[in-house]
Amino acid sequence: MSLVYFEELFFTLAFIIYIIASIGFFVFLVSSKEKVGKFSVTASTIGFVIHTIAMILRIIESGRLPFSNQFEFANSFTWAIVLCYLVIHYIYKFTAVGGFVMPLAFLMMGYASMLPKTIKPLMPALQSRWLTIHVGTAIISYGSFAVATGLSLMYLINERHKVKDKKISHLPDAEVCDYLSYRVTAFGYLMLTLVIVTGAIWAKKAWSRYWGWDPKETWSLITWIIYSTYLHLRFNRGWKGKTAAWFSIIGFLCVIFTFIGVNVLLPGLHSYR
Amino acid sequence: MIKKIGRFIIGLKFAIILFILIAIYSIIGTVIPQGATKEFYLHNYESFGNIILLLQFNKVYSSFIYRTLLLLFIVNITGCTIKLLPSQIARLKDDYFPAPGKSAENLWDEKYDTEEFKNILEKKGFKIYKSENGYKAAKNRIGVLGSSITHLGIIIIILGSFIGNLFAYEGYINLLPGESTAFVEQGFILKLDDFYLGFREDGSTEQYYSELKIIEEGKEVEAKKIWVNNPLKYKGINFYQSSFGWVSELTIKDSEGNIIEKASLKNNEYHFYQPKHLTVYLYGYYPDFAIDHEGQPVTITQQKKHPHYAVILYEFNNYVDSFITSPGQPIYYEDLEITFEDSSLYTGLTYRRDFGYYFVLIGCLFMFVGLLLSFYLYPRFVIVGDKTILPVTKQNIWGYTMQLKNLLSSTSKQ
Repeated sequence: MSLVYFEELFFTLAFIIYIIASIGFFVFLVSSKEKVGKFSVTASTIGFVIHTIAMILRIIESGRLPFSNQFEFANSFTWAIVLCYLVIHYIYKFTAVGGFVMPLAFLMMGYASMLPKTIKPLMPALQSRWLTIHVGTAIISYGSFAVATGLSLMYLINERHKVKDKKISHLPDAEVCDYLSYRVTAFGYLMLTLVIVTGAIWAKKAWSRYWGWDPKETWSLITWIIYSTYLHLRFNRGWKGKTAAWFSIIGFLCVIFTFIGVNVLLPGLHSYR
Repeated sequence: MIKKIGRFIIGLKFAIILFILIAIYSIIGTVIPQGATKEFYLHNYESFGNIILLLQFNKVYSSFIYRTLLLLFIVNITGCTIKLLPSQIARLKDDYFPAPGKSAENLWDEKYDTEEFKNILEKKGFKIYKSENGYKAAKNRIGVLGSSITHLGIIIIILGSFIGNLFAYEGYINLLPGESTAFVEQGFILKLDDFYLGFREDGSTEQYYSELKIIEEGKEVEAKKIWVNNPLKYKGINFYQSSFGWVSELTIKDSEGNIIEKASLKNNEYHFYQPKHLTVYLYGYYPDFAIDHEGQPVTITQQKKHPHYAVILYEFNNYVDSFITSPGQPIYYEDLEITFEDSSLYTGLTYRRDFGYYFVLIGCLFMFVGLLLSFYLYPRFVIVGDKTILPVTKQNIWGYTMQLKNLLSSTSKQ
């Protein structure tokens, strides 16, 4: 049996475990049973370990990092979402966050599973050291934006229940969600800046110009502008709560469009299949 | 009134409006194809085509409107930075201490040892100042400059790239092995010694290699093998491997076998034979020929495994016939014998000189340092008085309060 077989096996296993974890978190949110929450966190962690093994198998098999076509991006993106979630979880111990982030992870993995998985050799333009740092920062950045969106969703739900006067006891305070979402967004924004800068340096080396208004480049700039607006309003106008939460969700939709929409609708130099 | 307008132009509201306009305009540029002919827009978008041309949606990123937006943005961000800078510099000084915010949480509890807390703060890099009934501590005062440094970076990037583009020098050349091209102004000659492809085991192309030489005053001054991601740089000009193609040799003979015409054709080029008003159009050369599912000729690899030519003949611009031939296999037309003999590779090189890139790099560095200062090295203050311990910061009060709580709990007397 080959590595490919095991890679696909572990990929599928991780996918199933992520679905179980998402369902578990949902049950936890509805029922408030502490045990279900703990189970879901453990499931997410185990799923993450198995997912990591699947990624390592692919790295061994292809002899490079899995950063070169849409399947590999989506797979790495999922991995980064779960990674960012687990980091936040183990620092701040907010079990409920999982209920909003793990569904995003399993949706992204579902998208990945529909894409062709074949390992193709790197095309000449991708044969560069910059691939690792450019795509590496991209998945971390996108992963943090996903977690920030999860936190914003949690904030919005929290607020709604507060109005109805029946606060869900196991959700962290709305204010905490709000702050944490902001901090995670700031980190994602810093990473996004790095993605754009490393992309410019690489484009200069490979394509002769550091910026060429390729649809992917333009949409990453648009995403960057949206998050810049968010950070300015947040910092200077004390924008908090609902507006900020909605802004963070719009920002993430923009991230998703840059990631999937641009490839499907606006082909350009960045359309790697 | 003028003062009011001035304040608006350097204000945050205007910045946000510009952000949104720039974003919308950029989106339009990704949705409408850029740089096509006028007819294209009028034909494909009908009445909307005129609006596209009027608002320059056909060349968004070099349009007057986009440049105006960027210029206004530069004015806004510069004005805003200059306005804020004096107060930011004042905050670097030791005598500056902000007043605690209304929502600042008093962390004091009698179980905490404030003297011990002072030692811990000092170890963590806080500077301690005595006050009337306790002490104050401050750390990362430099962080207040974060936003200004980020803004400066962005100004450098936009202006640098704009000026760079004004003076940018670029072009594209095709060369066959052995050919050269002169850069008269710069006083050197670029020569292509060889061009070849690298293949993988499955026959797919792994890389394109051009062996280049720079000759100055008859002497070779530099030689380099370039490939994608590995350009040659000389006198500020970068030479990039950017494409390749095939050149095919066409021979036309008369009925007695005398060569009456010879030409070199790239794919999609034609040769006109005047006496017969015959146009020989080379639709394509396929080194590893196959027919795809739509009936179109394609090449599977770039290796000469199974070479074929697709040729179309026209007389007086009327279609005559089309042919698939192998090298040396003649096409007979009236008393002529038309053959494609052999094909060789040529390289496509892009060259560009653009000093704007260095400004962009410096700007990016400023921007990144500025963001790091803003997000992670923001100024932190603690005011400790009689039964009060107040955390003060503008950037991240929640996280900072949590950090201080952790530090305090380690001084707990119980």
